[in-house]
Amino acid sequence: MKWMIFSPEIFYLLAGLWFLALSMLPRAGSGRNYFSALFLAAAGILVCLISVKSAGTLFFNAYQVNLFSQVFKVLLSLGLFLVICLCPNLTAVKAKHHPEFYLLLFVCTLAMMMLVSSAHLLAIYVSLELSSYSLYILVVLRRGKDMGIEAGIKYFLIGIFASAVMLFGMALLYGTTRATYIGEMARVLPGVIDKPAVVIGMLLTLGGFFFKLAVFPFHFWAPDVYQGAANQVAAYIATASKVAAMALLVRMVALTGGAAASKYLVHVLVVLSIVSMTVGNLAAIVQKDIKRMLAYSTIAHAGYILIGILSMSTAGYGAVIFYALSLLVMKFTAFLVAVKVADDDRNLDIDRLAGLHQRSPLLAMALMVSIFSLAGIPPTIGFTGKLFVFLAAMEQGYFTLVLIAMINVVISLYYYLLVLKAAYLLKPDAAVSEIPLSPQAKVLTTALIVVMVVVGIFPGYVLELAEAAARAIV
Amino acid sequence: MTFARFPYLSCILLSCVIGLLIILFLPERRKQVIKWVSAVFSAIPLMFSLYLFLAYDKSTGGLQFVEKILWVKSLGITYFNAADGFNLPNLLLTGIVFFTGVLTMWEMQTRVKEFYALYFLLVTGVFGVFMSMDVFFIFVWYDVSLFPMYLLIAVWGTTRKEYAAMKLTLYLLAGSALILPAIAYLFVKSGMNTFDIVSLMQPGTFTADQQKFAFILLFLGFGILAAVWPFHTWSPVGHVAAPHAVSMVHAGVLMKIGAFGVLRVAIFLCPQGWQHWAQLMALLAAIGIVYGALAGLRQTDLKFVIGYSSVSHMGVVGLGLSTVSADGLNGAIFQMFAHGVMTALFFSSVGYIYDKTHTKAIGELGGLSKIMPVASTYFIVAAMASMGIPCLASFWGELVVFISAFKVYPVRGAMAVGALVISALFMLRVVQKTFYGPKNEQFEQLPDVPFGLAVPRMILVAVLVFFGLYPSILFDVIETASIPFMNGLP
Repeated sequence: MKWMIFSPEIFYLLAGLWFLALSMLPRAGSGRNYFSALFLAAAGILVCLISVKSAGTLFFNAYQVNLFSQVFKVLLSLGLFLVICLCPNLTAVKAKHHPEFYLLLFVCTLAMMMLVSSAHLLAIYVSLELSSYSLYILVVLRRGKDMGIEAGIKYFLIGIFASAVMLFGMALLYGTTRATYIGEMARVLPGVIDKPAVVIGMLLTLGGFFFKLAVFPFHFWAPDVYQGAANQVAAYIATASKVAAMALLVRMVALTGGAAASKYLVHVLVVLSIVSMTVGNLAAIVQKDIKRMLAYSTIAHAGYILIGILSMSTAGYGAVIFYALSLLVMKFTAFLVAVKVADDDRNLDIDRLAGLHQRSPLLAMALMVSIFSLAGIPPTIGFTGKLFVFLAAMEQGYFTLVLIAMINVVISLYYYLLVLKAAYLLKPDAAVSEIPLSPQAKVLTTALIVVMVVVGIFPGYVLELAEAAARAIV
Repeated sequence: MTFARFPYLSCILLSCVIGLLIILFLPERRKQVIKWVSAVFSAIPLMFSLYLFLAYDKSTGGLQFVEKILWVKSLGITYFNAADGFNLPNLLLTGIVFFTGVLTMWEMQTRVKEFYALYFLLVTGVFGVFMSMDVFFIFVWYDVSLFPMYLLIAVWGTTRKEYAAMKLTLYLLAGSALILPAIAYLFVKSGMNTFDIVSLMQPGTFTADQQKFAFILLFLGFGILAAVWPFHTWSPVGHVAAPHAVSMVHAGVLMKIGAFGVLRVAIFLCPQGWQHWAQLMALLAAIGIVYGALAGLRQTDLKFVIGYSSVSHMGVVGLGLSTVSADGLNGAIFQMFAHGVMTALFFSSVGYIYDKTHTKAIGELGGLSKIMPVASTYFIVAAMASMGIPCLASFWGELVVFISAFKVYPVRGAMAVGALVISALFMLRVVQKTFYGPKNEQFEQLPDVPFGLAVPRMILVAVLVFFGLYPSILFDVIETASIPFMNGLP
């Protein structure tokens, strides 16, 4: 029965195998792929929810299951399910590649689940690479000659560079602490964290996750990859992949044992946070393509997330976990609107949102709520997430940092409002038809709006869960 | 502190939210139904706020009709509403302006559903700020009341609307960018793990330095919304661009939540900071009064004139707050109420004139009193109130503020009174050019205000005159809060 705690991973592995088998069978209509993916993803959420309270270790303690990892697994399975909801008309990927597309999505999710549970440097590295390689291929799968391939190569090159950096950092960490197990490291690190080699090792190791989260200076890939990848893949990268990166950053930083001991590390993180949010927000102002804009806003959000992480307190980590949920929901909603409006799978210019409030009032409203949530305006989940992060930082005395972050929020509002203006104010150039939404899509959109507002207003339960998860790793 | 037997305050919010939801589910083509729903669900908050104003027990004072529920335990956020002498006049004001605003927009035809939905959202936020006694909720309501403004101005507005909407939103949210860190700072420094104002305002919670530091951030943050000079530039531009009902709410009520935020959050939590920075507050307020009056002299657009006179009048509120005296607080709150009703009347009557003539340029109008005598009367009454003529409500607010200001800041008080003369001058000039003199032939055939549309304006005039004749009704309520508050200061 010990393996019960491994059930989410086993489930996703089997699901992956199912699509592997499908890819070898003669091609049937695309309906079979989509519906089996949707069903499996929904069942996956259930499996993750059932195993949320389980705890234990596997594989000679290299694999650790606790509330922290299980909460993130629920978030990841939710992210996968949502992204698959975007795929009923998956024309951006050739029909013959559909089984592979789903295979890679499931394998990538599996890898991220293993990532959040890994308690050994090697396991972390292997899971991270597995998820990255799945994503490299997913990006390339986009139909059309060059865009996907160009983006894929950029992603790949920067990705392997980041992995190399991370490996070097891990080597340094091992060299200085003589530990590869996370648990052991947590005992040794607090005593030596202010030594130069350890700080550098830690930062380089974090570099691998900075790459995933698109933190400055590992952010260059994000706009190009979002733009080049299929809209659905971009949505996956922007949501699930970010969630996994946040989990790992929290885990690694939690090893250092508090802000008092590791002041050099904190200094660097403060700088990275400020530069990330400022660069992201300033660059987003001039974007015309909505996916590029969202990519830069992701970079800015990475900056806000770092504020929670560098607080190095349970409250800060809890706030980051809450933020992970809010980022997942609000980013996804923005992508949902983009996918629905760009039904021809082209990239979506912000101007093409013109007249959205007439073409589909529901989508326009979803866009409005998600935009306000991204901008951090109450009463949305995005505001609540930011507030918790800022409160945690304030408790550690980072007043200036919070003030800079708030100024950034005001800057970001400018480009978010431009999107809103396009949706509600601009007149479309030519006559455009209503956007047809299936009943399922309507339910999904409404549910997302409700979640963004209701969790924003009643954050109590989710916050308690997030804090309990954070306590599991401190 | 007496708890409510019936949640009147929550019902005010609930009525706005239910109205909002019903409007969202009505189809756009049922315009008339949407308007009636709006009228009914805006009348309910008015009745509740009027009831609360009358039912408030002045002999005991303090917080009444209290509703308190723990919201987020780990952060000590409570849903805490209460009525006291400071917020009752403002709740009543919001009720009046909300209801009359709905009626003012009765003839609107474009995107009616979205307009009323956003309008309801805006007012929900305003009510929330006034009734909440929890800093966290005040901030949330404050932002809720700001963000619908962008769409309301950008979609339904008139002059340079997109520029104005963006400017206004960015300015006001820049204000909240100062408020949030300050609130978080106070929350952390108190060490009490609560956002509850009543607990946080106990003397000794914050050191003098902490209060000085937090106060200036809160004052600037909320002050931007109260159009404190030199952060006022968004306000005339925004007033001019906004549709009439939004101008009414905006100038009538929204700017008041700025001033109210200064009182409820900054002054309540940081009284020593208040005493420390009072000189600066008075200076900025006096400059605002003079600057608004001078800038108003040069305007050629009717709405700009009102916009600058608002800057000037909000300066009077600021001056009242800066005197650090019970009289000053009384005058400031009274002026908030009077100015709210007066500006609502201003924008409501300009709204009618603009709808008919399609111009707000003073030079193009002229002799309107012969063409539309009723519409002109409403504007002239508002103009008289703006000049501070006795028997109208504004007179009392300004009088009390100036008397208390003279005691503390004679020079700045004299400046302010001098500016009042200027503002009387520019109001008279506007009235003379717009309503008297030669008629503009092209407007000859325009109809005067029909009875149905006159109702909201009549309500506003009646309120102005009533509180002009019986100011003590309002002062008695305000004093139940201001005198104990000043006595409680160290």
